[in-house]
Amino acid sequence: MTWISKAITLFGAVLLGHACYSAQEHSALQSFKAATATLTSSSLAVASLPVDIAIETVIAIIVILFGLVLGTRPLRPIQWRVWAGKIEREGEEGFMDNDGEVNKDFVGNPFKFLETRPGFVDIRKQRKEFASWVKTSSAQ
Amino acid sequence: MSVEREFQIAPIVQEAVVHNSRTLLNLQSLTASLFGVGAGILGLESYSGFLFYLVCSLLTAMLFYVVRVAPTSLASGTGTGGGGAFDTSRYFRSQVEFWTGGLMNGLAGFILTWTLFYGLVRA
Repeated sequence: MTWISKAITLFGAVLLGHACYSAQEHSALQSFKAATATLTSSSLAVASLPVDIAIETVIAIIVILFGLVLGTRPLRPIQWRVWAGKIEREGEEGFMDNDGEVNKDFVGNPFKFLETRPGFVDIRKQRKEFASWVKTSSAQ
Repeated sequence: MSVEREFQIAPIVQEAVVHNSRTLLNLQSLTASLFGVGAGILGLESYSGFLFYLVCSLLTAMLFYVVRVAPTSLASGTGTGGGGAFDTSRYFRSQVEFWTGGLMNGLAGFILTWTLFYGLVRA
């Protein structure tokens, strides 16, 4: 997914660079014409930017904008219940960047403290084992 | 119902809020400079330049809504504030901030590149 957005952005940047260069050349040509016109004293209308350059600029901006928006990272739900439900359903899949890597601040299952707890401990059996261990070690 | 009580009943994930608003802010500051380049090349002056910026940043918010917010919000149906289209409450706390926050965030970058490219092209 990410290479598509990068390719679109790059294409738009090339268009924008071309439009910028064309506009610069156009204004340079106009000022040159104006300079020669004053020498030859012929009238010259001040030409504004040609319409094709304007169209190219606008299209380039829209293309780059589209590429940048496609390149943004996926959003996360802000409500706790929606967010936790998304983790429950999708796990790590739902929290990947565009590059297919899991986000660094992905915390995992928020209900972990409810779902895992230690079982019962047979304290009498442990006490007997400890007592026998003490006996065997003192006997040696 | 008081705000505090509402937050206890429907808690908010702070990291997700920060993540979403940072994503939006990155996009806005990037595109604002881009619009400045465009306005400079087109040779816009005074009000028409600011109008260009207004239209373009609204277009950015619209496109971001269509690409990132709308598909999941409309598909889930839940987690929205009950509004139909143009409801961003699944990902953002305030609607106004989502739609018009870009105007203030990127204005400085816009004017910077606007004047720079206006000067470069029309030197």
